[in-house]
Amino acid sequence: MAPTEHTNEPLLTLDGVDLGHGERVVLPRVHLHLARGERVALLGPSGAGKSTLLAALRERLGGAVAWCPQHHGLVPGLAVYHNVYMGRLAEHSALANLWNLVRPLRGPWGEVAALCELVGLDGLMRRPVGQLSGGQRQRTAIARALYQQREVFLGDEPVASVDPHQAHRLLGLIEQRHTTSVIALHQRELALTRFDRVWGLRDGRLVIDAPASTLSLDDLDALYPDADDTAASAEAPEPAAPSPASLPCSRGRA
Amino acid sequence: MSDAALPRRPAWLAGRATGPRLARHTLTLIALALLLAPLADLSVVTRDPWTELGRMLQGLAWPDFASVESPFHALGLTVSVALWGTLAGVVLGFPLALLFARSRLVRAGCAFVRAIHELFWALLFLQVFGLSALTALAALAIPYAGIFAKVFAEILEQTPRAPADALPPGVGRLSRFLYAELPLAWTQLAAYIRYRFECGLRASVLLGFVGLPTLGFQLETAFREGRYPEAGALLWCFYLLIATLPWWSHRRLVPLLLVGGVFLLGPWPAVDGGLLWRFVSQDLWPAPLLAGDGAGLVDWFASIPELAPAIGNTLLLALLGTVGALLVAMALWPLASRHFGHPASRLAGRGLLVLLRSTPELMLAFVFLLLLGPSLLPAWLALALHNGALIAFLVARHADGLEPGMPGLPASGRLAYELLPRVYPSLLALLYYRAEVILRETAILGMLGVATLGYYIDENFQYLMFDTAAFLLLVTAGLNIAVDALSRRLRPREVPQEDPCLR
Repeated sequence: MAPTEHTNEPLLTLDGVDLGHGERVVLPRVHLHLARGERVALLGPSGAGKSTLLAALRERLGGAVAWCPQHHGLVPGLAVYHNVYMGRLAEHSALANLWNLVRPLRGPWGEVAALCELVGLDGLMRRPVGQLSGGQRQRTAIARALYQQREVFLGDEPVASVDPHQAHRLLGLIEQRHTTSVIALHQRELALTRFDRVWGLRDGRLVIDAPASTLSLDDLDALYPDADDTAASAEAPEPAAPSPASLPCSRGRA
Repeated sequence: MSDAALPRRPAWLAGRATGPRLARHTLTLIALALLLAPLADLSVVTRDPWTELGRMLQGLAWPDFASVESPFHALGLTVSVALWGTLAGVVLGFPLALLFARSRLVRAGCAFVRAIHELFWALLFLQVFGLSALTALAALAIPYAGIFAKVFAEILEQTPRAPADALPPGVGRLSRFLYAELPLAWTQLAAYIRYRFECGLRASVLLGFVGLPTLGFQLETAFREGRYPEAGALLWCFYLLIATLPWWSHRRLVPLLLVGGVFLLGPWPAVDGGLLWRFVSQDLWPAPLLAGDGAGLVDWFASIPELAPAIGNTLLLALLGTVGALLVAMALWPLASRHFGHPASRLAGRGLLVLLRSTPELMLAFVFLLLLGPSLLPAWLALALHNGALIAFLVARHADGLEPGMPGLPASGRLAYELLPRVYPSLLALLYYRAEVILRETAILGMLGVATLGYYIDENFQYLMFDTAAFLLLVTAGLNIAVDALSRRLRPREVPQEDPCLR
């Protein structure tokens, strides 16, 4: 993964824009630049505005985006196949979609089966998502995003509840199939090793916007207020950052 | 510490905590009922109710199944009507549910059809379709469509938004609904349809009271003619039907029941379109109104019987019934709860509650009426017992799910300190939900001869004065909608989002 800072063809530029929900501004006066081909890691404590920023990017990039939301947005009562199929719901007629619920369409069934095998969900296509483990749901959500076959991948903590090896593998898949990606995550090492650029949010401000190669774990620790006290022990690995599983989910900031 | 230094001791039931507040609320309600009770005619008219009651219980204890004429046909018809009526209600109500939030007209229409009891609808359709399955189905399907529309709309509104938000842009409305909304609401929708079917089963029995050949028809005849062993046998059939419901109404059996039901429901009447149109466009409306005759309309209004006593009786009976249900529920729920008594007492308590709540209130009222004569008393007893048992059952279930924080308290302490404070808000909330149902039932009890609005409606239908009957139905519906709004305001706010299956 050579850094691709110089591709430079701009995909999106925000120049002093207020981002938020309706009247409530969460991220005031944001300046940032996203180039085509760039892989960006978005870091920051929960509640810093990561989801708000991703939602704004999604809105501005429109049809180019494959979207993998926080808490996955899956339908527990439908099978894995149908949840993945939903990624391309708009490309079929309502009638075809209806029939697909009665009996899976031949084409999509094959495509989804191939994807499920890639993300490690083989044999689970017919199982309702409500019966899956946390990690399996996460992979279903990623499979759904991959199935959309878009240029840009936007993920809100898509690898929060899978083990480190799987996280690497899934990030690899995402890189392979999208030219550009912006992914919110909590694993600082992953941010430094697998991404070109890091955006760091703290208290509603973009405090880090730099190539990953110029940053250290200490720089990233500074994003997390809870880590301030233990800043001395910089090499403390994961526990320093609040693990996403233990944090109250920030509902309503999708 | 001297007395003066103590914080001031609160007066009786003072304070802003939920407990004393709801206690004051309840006592006010009871005081109001006591104050108004002397206005109600609660006399016993019959000479010797106890002997008659003895004979009835004897009939129930020693039922005579051999004397029942073709019980399976009546049972089958009862089930078919309930099943097809509910299904038709779903088919009509579902599209309305999708429009419910957007259209004030739909909301008003649904509130109106809901406010009129199934039996009144049956009386209305009886005039056009005669004693046929069409009358029975329409009588269930129309009010249920209104109920389904409202409840489905509420359920759909509460489905999580995240899956719909996660969809890629450009997904059509129908596809979004099919994939990201319907599957999320499905379990709740199915549970509510099942619950409504059970209500439909009771209503289907009651349709026998207006002459349709369901179980209620034979029941009424047997009771009226004093053939109590036969009536007892029919009642046991009905209880058996309700008790075995989970088995025979299994998901996979429903299609079979539906197909079988079609054969039982026939023969279908020939619907005369011209007659139907005449009924809807002319018979139901006051003639002077159609003729545009203002003075005639005033005369028409003058010809309507004095309504104030009937409305007064209806409201009074509803109030007494609600308060009675509250008292019955308070007295009965501990009997069925795992926190009190021993296994035998609990079994008896649960049995009593199931019996009281499965017996349709009209049926209970009818039995009490035979015993006590036509005053408000039998109606009041029936409403209080049926609805009280229903609430007690749900409250006992709620209490069974609670774990007392301090084990080893005496029973009274457990009731007053551990359980009652936790279950009482939902008990009261349930009561206010029932208040609207009680009012609707109050009106139909008139068909048994109790001097409520239903009495005049029934009478006018019998004299073929459809315009007056229709007007009285409107009054009933209006009253119902008003009481519904009132009870919604009085309902305790502490109870979180409630399960529609409890209403």
